[in-house]
Amino acid sequence: MAFRKIDIDALEEDAFGEDEIDFQEIGELRPVADVDAQVNSRAQEVRSLLQRGNTSGALSTSLQNPPYGAPFHAAKARNTQTVMEVLNSIKVSDVPQLVKSLSPEEQDVLMKYLYAGMAAPEQNNSGHLLAWHEKLTEVAGQGCIVRVITDRRTV
Amino acid sequence: MSDSPIVNEFNQGPISCHAFNGDRTELAICFNTNVVTIFRKSGASWTQTSTLVEHDKPVTSIDWAPKSNRIVTCSQDRNAYVWTLDGASHQWKPTLVLLRINRAATFVRWSPEEDKFAVASGSRCISVCYFEEDNDWWVGKHIKKPIRSTVLSIDWHPNNVLLAAGCADMKARVFSAFIKGIDKKPAPSPWGEKLPFNTLCGEFSNGAGGWIHGVAFSPSGESLVFTGHDSTITVVSPGTGDIQSIRAPYLPYLSVIWLNENQIVAAGHDCAPHLFERKGQQWAFSASLDAAVKKADVGFTARDTFRRMDSRAQSTTSTDTEVHTHHQNTINSIRSFSGTPEHVEQFSTSAIDGKLILWNADSISRGLGNLHL
Repeated sequence: MAFRKIDIDALEEDAFGEDEIDFQEIGELRPVADVDAQVNSRAQEVRSLLQRGNTSGALSTSLQNPPYGAPFHAAKARNTQTVMEVLNSIKVSDVPQLVKSLSPEEQDVLMKYLYAGMAAPEQNNSGHLLAWHEKLTEVAGQGCIVRVITDRRTV
Repeated sequence: MSDSPIVNEFNQGPISCHAFNGDRTELAICFNTNVVTIFRKSGASWTQTSTLVEHDKPVTSIDWAPKSNRIVTCSQDRNAYVWTLDGASHQWKPTLVLLRINRAATFVRWSPEEDKFAVASGSRCISVCYFEEDNDWWVGKHIKKPIRSTVLSIDWHPNNVLLAAGCADMKARVFSAFIKGIDKKPAPSPWGEKLPFNTLCGEFSNGAGGWIHGVAFSPSGESLVFTGHDSTITVVSPGTGDIQSIRAPYLPYLSVIWLNENQIVAAGHDCAPHLFERKGQQWAFSASLDAAVKKADVGFTARDTFRRMDSRAQSTTSTDTEVHTHHQNTINSIRSFSGTPEHVEQFSTSAIDGKLILWNADSISRGLGNLHL
């Protein structure tokens, strides 16, 4: 909300706030330690899948149950890193086949991580991510992009 | 009636909303101004007959009661008017409705019995309006809780009591709009048994979030469909407890209707009506009803090339930016035109490109080889 300089709801007692959206869409928040542990164990699992050459399994596993919600900054960063590791280890020529094998839910989550990755160009290879983005949009359509923009459950 | 869509081009600006009269010989359109224009059918075209000038901000929604021949309009000026045709002078006469809202009115619909109408608004409430004989005045009762943001669309249940609302707080809700003294006690339905005014009968989210742009009850009233800004449509059936969200690969849908119990048509930012069908118990996207027709590439003469360079700063004959549908911009309203609620034969769409198009739903079902009766 960088474009909005003035908080137009400041004087509104009954304003519809961001926290309310988070609560409604995510439900009860889990303890930070639990989420961190889950994200770390997933990183291990994904790495071992990659070592065994199971790229599609690694991709699908890394996209399950991403950490949503304001308090999980560390877990979000860690999980984004996990997904990026998977994406970087896959050759561009294999991308279309892998994208097609994902469920619609996983495709939406993948799109979220592509945008999250491109938001940090100093850490990630944007060119590679753009190639993923192109292939994913061919399969999941513009609807997938719209859902990422609309969804308040950011990664 | 031919199978291809009938395009009416008015060239008076973007259409924000439209409504037909009972026998479909007259048409009320707002061209995104404070004026509503009435057209009468003459042959294949529409002739302007009168204008409704009373609002002083853009009109947001129009509804025409088919049996009692009354028009209701609502506008960003926070007012609604009920228009009745004066028999002697053939003039439409407005009556102000007491909405008591402090933000724009966004959407209005007559109830099936035409004795009430509901006005959605940006002041986080729905005004359910009815005629008070004693005061000779339309008055509104507010449905407030638990609406947290602007109400964008509403639809009446066939029983004249239940009301569905799509809201910018990312929820679709079903309320009771029971007015004592006007409504008879409704028969119990899957939505609830005891239904005093403002009872919340259901609250649904499509998961990913996004404003709920359009809502519609199925012909039987057993199911509800709503479309969100996350490019999904969600079908809810409280009788069976079934909730299905379909993720479309296209741009979001703004408006939605049921053709029958097994077919839904949604339209919006993708400029074409899209058909969703139920096969067995499973809802799925079926087809776009506007076959994309590539216009013949005629731009190879030198003159055309120079003209294109001049007007669009493009030197190639690339048609990447062309929209290959009948509508050239966002469709913001889709309404049943002919047939019964249980079996819609034709429907109309109006869009920001200033066109109003009539589509033949029967040919759709036949063309796809699965006519549901």
